[in-house]
Amino acid sequence: MHQSILAFRKHRYLWLALLVTALCVTAYWIDDPQEPANGGTVLGYTLGTLGALLILWLAWYGVRKRRYASTAGTVQGWLSAHVYLGAALPVIVLLHSGFQFGYNVHTLAFVLMSLVVASGLFGVYVYLKYPQRLSENRGGANRSALIDELEDVDERSKRIASKLPPEFQELVSSGIGRLQLGESMWQRLRGRDLSQVLLKRGNDYAVVANPGQEAALDWLADQQAKCREPATAAVIGELSALLRNKRRLLKPLAEDLRLQALLEVWLCAHIPLTAALLAALLVHILSVFVYW
Amino acid sequence: MKFLIRFISRNAAGGTEQHDRLVNAPIITMGRATDRMLHLRDRRARLEHAQLEEQNGKVHITTAALAGVEVNGRSQRDARLVVGDVVEVGSNILRVIEAPPGTDFAFTFELSAEAERDTDTPDHYAPEAKRFSLRSLSWILAAAVLLLALVVPGLGIVNPQFAAVARGSKLLPDDTWWLAGPLHTAHTAAGADCQNCHVAAFERVPDEACVDCHEVNRHVAGDTHEVLGERRCASCHLEHNEPPELVKRHQGLCADCHRNLPGDVLLENAGDFLLDHPGFKVSLLQPQVNASGETEWVLQHRLLADAQTADRSNLKFNHAAHLDEAGILAAEGRRVIDCAECHQPEPGGARMRPIRMDQNCAGCHSLNFDPDDPRRTVPHGDPDAVMQVLVEYYSARLLGDDPDAGEQRVRRPGRALTRADRDRAAAEARVQAMQVAEDLFERRVCVNCHEVTRNDDAEMPWTVLPVKLTERFFPHSNFTHAAHDTAASACDSCHDASVSESSADVLIPAIESCRDCHGSAVLRHNNASQTPSTCIMCHSFHFEAKGTYP
Repeated sequence: MHQSILAFRKHRYLWLALLVTALCVTAYWIDDPQEPANGGTVLGYTLGTLGALLILWLAWYGVRKRRYASTAGTVQGWLSAHVYLGAALPVIVLLHSGFQFGYNVHTLAFVLMSLVVASGLFGVYVYLKYPQRLSENRGGANRSALIDELEDVDERSKRIASKLPPEFQELVSSGIGRLQLGESMWQRLRGRDLSQVLLKRGNDYAVVANPGQEAALDWLADQQAKCREPATAAVIGELSALLRNKRRLLKPLAEDLRLQALLEVWLCAHIPLTAALLAALLVHILSVFVYW
Repeated sequence: MKFLIRFISRNAAGGTEQHDRLVNAPIITMGRATDRMLHLRDRRARLEHAQLEEQNGKVHITTAALAGVEVNGRSQRDARLVVGDVVEVGSNILRVIEAPPGTDFAFTFELSAEAERDTDTPDHYAPEAKRFSLRSLSWILAAAVLLLALVVPGLGIVNPQFAAVARGSKLLPDDTWWLAGPLHTAHTAAGADCQNCHVAAFERVPDEACVDCHEVNRHVAGDTHEVLGERRCASCHLEHNEPPELVKRHQGLCADCHRNLPGDVLLENAGDFLLDHPGFKVSLLQPQVNASGETEWVLQHRLLADAQTADRSNLKFNHAAHLDEAGILAAEGRRVIDCAECHQPEPGGARMRPIRMDQNCAGCHSLNFDPDDPRRTVPHGDPDAVMQVLVEYYSARLLGDDPDAGEQRVRRPGRALTRADRDRAAAEARVQAMQVAEDLFERRVCVNCHEVTRNDDAEMPWTVLPVKLTERFFPHSNFTHAAHDTAASACDSCHDASVSESSADVLIPAIESCRDCHGSAVLRHNNASQTPSTCIMCHSFHFEAKGTYP
């Protein structure tokens, strides 16, 4: 039975995070430090230490999840705690700061922490929402079944094109080779079909944009209309039918790639910003005590 | 230019297949981008990797790639191609062949044998998305943060010259990036050099750094500041805070002890201005006549709310009469006067200047004694001198020494004054002087403001009680008129002068009057018009060594 990481062990870590948050808020409420609340009061140092240790522990998740032999809890449990305690971190850090901000390294650390937490929360959101959308998009099949079908269409297209003049073979092979559903994560997120195809126009070949196989299909329709031999025209028609089939199959694949990119893209912010945050945390602590 | 491209590929049987493509174009582009004429399915290739182009009738291969392309085994970025040349473009091999008739340039194009073996790429439709390496980016970001926020500003500690350069530069990060809060304006004037106070790295600001500029005898006796004990200057004086607060104003600073003082302390308990504060006591100068009959002034603290508390300055003064809305009789006629006519703030505006007869009263209260001679006045402040002036004045008139006083001369024309004339004149002058003095002291002038009594001294039979006005009623409070915006609020919103008919009234507002605006240190006890007020707002800090307040 699948259990969401959020519901792990009856929301054990949700309660822990709420408890920690409540304790910190209560302490801040009660504390009367005889000066404007800031990171340098007794409670300020306490919350700061708690926040710094929490950041280190949260970052350690990246190490723990790679230690397959470790028996220190399950990775699922760690992730559940990582999510809930990570969400509690901004509260602790805000109370530590006494809501004092400025253009300085201390606020830099705060901003980086906020970005890391925000990207993490976005990660939680997509992990909860997109697997469902992914499988809906594929109609129950998995991606390799989709690709098998596409490759089958490609093979049949090549076979049919071999019965036609070379420009048809160029059309098919360049259409296959120059298929591009986004090379980078950004292109995939935008869902752009960057495919091209090589078309013979007059005596020359031209490379033409071929999103959704449109250019190839238009060219084929054109050739079919010009064709005087009914037998050849029928073969061209067959090829058109295959490419239309391919177009139908490419849509869910492109969406699959887009959704997968969405599932991964938050990590591109979460991980490097965590590294920057750890550096900024070190700077924050050192700089406070350099000029104590 | 007409190019012939001969594609060579291996079929499943192991043989080779070829097909030609004729291209009539000025250049042949090649790269990983799908719009290149020659599409390179090679992740190492650039999107726009290289191109064939005509230069002066010859065909060149050029590339923007730093690594160049391999022409006959040599890496080049621009190479002229002749028949027989072999070019490696990524994992493809381009061989220049003899151009058949009707074409200008011909070459074969095939995948290298190595790449051929890897053609079975299952990820053709869904290859891994290209993205930057998270690990490299992580290192770069972390290093950038450390460099910009720690190393460069930190260099300034090691090398003060560099610190000056960094602080002067708009681009270089300096140690202002480390500021936990703004420097108080009181300290920016002393120079924005962190090292002025932060003498050594990783050490707290020492008290010596404060004493370098500040005199601390407000808190401690003498030159030493060691009586602070475990406390540091910075225990109470906080920098880099928001809101900026150089003086700790926290209620607990005083109230922690004062809300419950030990039994042997004479001072009453005070924990909060609104909720737990004794009524005001005023410091009043009280006259006391000593054994030799002289008046001595003694400072006494009296409860303001006590009905017995009276200002005993020996001055008779009626505020209500002076502030009469219909005006008061002055030399030039009726005149309406206001408080500011007499009560003028000191420079700085904290307190009021002392009231003085010559500056504040003499304008109306003339000390003239002879209606026929209105310019003549007696001196103020010394009754004996008054008598002396009067006697001298009338003697001179009788003896003719005074050129202005002509008609009552005792000397007959053509005859010198005899001794008897003089004695007679002196006696007559004294009688006149005494008559005028009696009028001044008892009926017309002095008695208006002063307590005058008869005594049995024949020479000077009146005693005028000395006057001394209390200048500070709350000598230990930090009250300042300037902070209370006296321009906006009328004096009588605190001082009931307009109904006070006696100078015995102490016109100092009671604590209830202050509480209209000053509330508890704890916000929730206050109404909308009350500002939270802690002890430090009115009282000054003290240490035991400095002595306690009376």
